Amino acid sequence: MARPTAPPSTAPPPTAAASAARWCSFLVDGRCFAVDAAVVAEVLRATTVNRVPLAAPAIAGLLNLRGRIVPVIDMRLRLGFTPAAAERPRINLVIDVRNEWYSLLVDDLLDVVSFDANHIEPPSGSRSVPALDAVVGLLSETDRLVHFLDPERLLQSLVVTRVRGLSVG
Amino acid sequence: MANNDEFIGEFLIEAAENLDQLDRDLVTLEADPRNPDRLASIFRTVHTIKGTCGFFGFTKLSTISHHGEHLLGRLRDGQLVFNDSLASLLLELVDAIRAILASIETTGAEGDADFADLCQRLDAATAGPAIPETSSDHPSDPARSQEPTPDTVPATALPTVTVPVTVEAEPPITPEAAAPPLPTAAPHEPRSSSAATPPSNTTAPAAGRPGPVLDSTIRVDVGLLDTIVDLVGELVLARNQLRTAAPENPVLQGAINRVHSVTGELQEAAMKTRMAPIEQLFSKFPRIVRDLANTCRKQVELHLDGSDTELDRTLIEKIRDPLTHLIRNAIDHGIESADTRQAAGKPASGRLSLRAFHESGQVTIEVEDDGGGIAVEAIRDKAIVRGLVSAEEAATMSAERIFQFIFQPGFSTAQAITDISGRGVGMDVVRTNIESIGGTVDINSRPGVGTVVRVRVPLTLAIIPALIVTSGGERLAIPQPYVQELVALRTTGETHTVAGLEGAPVLRLRDRLVPVVFMDRWLGLRTWTERPASGTVVIVRVDNHEFGLVVDAVTTTDGNRTTSVETTSLWIIVVKPIGGLLAPMGLYSGGTVMGDGGVVLILDLRGLAMAADIPARARDTPQLPPAGRPSAETEADRYLICETHRGRRIAVPLEQVDRLETLRPGQITPAGDRQFANRSGQLTRLIDLDQLLESPRQQTAATAAALVGVILTADAGGDALSVSRIIDVDRAESELETGIGTPGLLGTLLVGGAATEVIDVPAAARWAAHATAP
Repeated sequence: MARPTAPPSTAPPPTAAASAARWCSFLVDGRCFAVDAAVVAEVLRATTVNRVPLAAPAIAGLLNLRGRIVPVIDMRLRLGFTPAAAERPRINLVIDVRNEWYSLLVDDLLDVVSFDANHIEPPSGSRSVPALDAVVGLLSETDRLVHFLDPERLLQSLVVTRVRGLSVG
Repeated sequence: MANNDEFIGEFLIEAAENLDQLDRDLVTLEADPRNPDRLASIFRTVHTIKGTCGFFGFTKLSTISHHGEHLLGRLRDGQLVFNDSLASLLLELVDAIRAILASIETTGAEGDADFADLCQRLDAATAGPAIPETSSDHPSDPARSQEPTPDTVPATALPTVTVPVTVEAEPPITPEAAAPPLPTAAPHEPRSSSAATPPSNTTAPAAGRPGPVLDSTIRVDVGLLDTIVDLVGELVLARNQLRTAAPENPVLQGAINRVHSVTGELQEAAMKTRMAPIEQLFSKFPRIVRDLANTCRKQVELHLDGSDTELDRTLIEKIRDPLTHLIRNAIDHGIESADTRQAAGKPASGRLSLRAFHESGQVTIEVEDDGGGIAVEAIRDKAIVRGLVSAEEAATMSAERIFQFIFQPGFSTAQAITDISGRGVGMDVVRTNIESIGGTVDINSRPGVGTVVRVRVPLTLAIIPALIVTSGGERLAIPQPYVQELVALRTTGETHTVAGLEGAPVLRLRDRLVPVVFMDRWLGLRTWTERPASGTVVIVRVDNHEFGLVVDAVTTTDGNRTTSVETTSLWIIVVKPIGGLLAPMGLYSGGTVMGDGGVVLILDLRGLAMAADIPARARDTPQLPPAGRPSAETEADRYLICETHRGRRIAVPLEQVDRLETLRPGQITPAGDRQFANRSGQLTRLIDLDQLLESPRQQTAATAAALVGVILTADAGGDALSVSRIIDVDRAESELETGIGTPGLLGTLLVGGAATEVIDVPAAARWAAHATAP
């Protein structure tokens, strides 16, 4: 997966996705995604996750990372794929977004790589991911299409405000 | 200058404190213009700043404070009388000093801002309308006053030696002279810093720091305190783990007990380091209120109460902006102009009160004005107009909840009803900020009487006592301050029974009925059919709401279950933030990590009460609801969700359901192609919904053995619907979509999280009666 690093581009990046130097790539439902490696705080394998009743469906729960409570985002659900088989071990990719930690529950971790920013294209019209809202760029690699994700946008649709109308019975 | 960095840092901190003091003094002085102590204090403060900055070579700062000092000298000596315009001018000076300090803090230099104009105006005021007997100026012509008369030199009022020197070094300055501002200021800039400042260096510390008592306090970086508190939190976790492990070894037990007590004390001490009086925040408000009142041309009296109320210092910082915004709203939109007030028979001066106090482990801050107020009807109408709520729903909502609409984003920005115009601007931001720290904000108002906004924030974000309860396999924490008592519950039993299984369940507790909520149901953990027969009711009280939370069990610290609030049922938990993703839900105020490493959410009871619309009841006036039956509006949009024998998901309006019965095969009597159920000798017609609806057979078809009779009310015909299982009872989440035209169906709506067909019960009864007719 690792390719020789392209020299730093002088041209303005085609999308916001191109600004990072190194990317952490991972698999969700067979597709390849990447987030800025600078936001990745930690990678965890098996952990206990406690669910959060009434939260957005893509919030798998909370995990305890050395005393810090970290919301876990099921990336399959967040990106609109089918839920993972229960027995399949998955990986928590802990990212830091404005000093708050979130864990992205992904199928598998690939690599930390650099990409040629010049070839990153805007994601408009792509049909490879059901929920495109957090995808900020695409790059065709030899073996796969890399989807660049904006961590902040990943979180946006997950905020549930002021739960109302709880039934009491 | 690099070697001075540390000193400059100290200077900046000290100067910032001094400026805050100046704000307070100046506002006080406005009310009491001849208070000599305040004047002297103000003079000393400016003098200190001037002296110190001269020492560091901040010439600009030195120059403007010099001009201010000059003016203050005359005020102090009684040669000028303090008034509103002088107050504004001096406050402007404070802001200018603040701006330069900010620039020094960020860039290390004084910045490019030019304050020559301010210096000029200060000088003009200094030379301005003095009291006739001490000045030869023309009081009637302040702007054109000619000479800074030599006889205004402050003589001997205080033994501050620098003042005479300063003033005599001053060249006569003619305000609005032909020279542009910059040249006017330039000539005396070097002079004031070279001629006037050096002598002040030696006197500044003595003058600015009167009577230092025994210095028993030190400055500590807040970040360091936070680290200590975090570490203690980790220690508490480890201690809880140790206690859970409970080894048999007596030596270890002794050590654990010691660790336990020491950790407790350490925790308490660590917590105290974080506490600070809200005074730190309140002291900024007199100045803010004064400026706002002037800007809005209103008269406002500010009353501060409970300044010594302590709370976590990190929280003080976080409530600053929301409170400032509330104050701004109160003055800008709440308090009326003096004329309007007098016309309404109120004192010309509006009253703005800020009260802080501790209440059930929280800090409550009330911002109250006696202004025009807001009519709840206006909010309700606007909410309906904006489509936030239906007219029917709004009619049943409490005033408390209707006022919550003010906190909707942009609520009042659209063509507003005049009453509330502008009132809601930024209120959503206020709410978001308060909620992000686990607080709440609500508003109450009466037209013509005033408005009170109540902000509640936790005392600390760090460590609280709580109950840990289980429900539907999940653990949840309930903060102890809200807990009133625990009651054992059996759904069928003698002592405590919940009446009204669906709809609005209540618990009869001594002389009153307490609404109860089933946690599992509330949080969607499981359906009521899976609920165990017994449980515990945690009676909680939040504001005016008293209600019971039905949980499976309360977990004690020694691993047993309990039904009473004892020491073993109380956990000391370390509250951790759950982040901006989950906090806005308003259901959880935080999370904690248990001894086993699991995460437990802390319930936000106030948010829950609001989310479930628990009716508020007046404190200490227990009363029974008028009728045992739940009120019509709570029942009207609730549906029984069932599955037919062929797996079709259908809903029946709950108000048409009398009860549910499991029917054994032996009870079913066929008659023709229809069936009757023999219920204790009474034949009830069974309506086969699959036949009625001509359902296609689906994969999930249940076995014919399971048969539930949904007995309809007598009004609805008294028949029984034959279904294979009950899925749930839930509120409709959408309007009914009609227009399918299928006989026996009213239409489709969203209930229980899925689109569901709603049975037209009267039509089904007619169909059944017709079909079985001979």
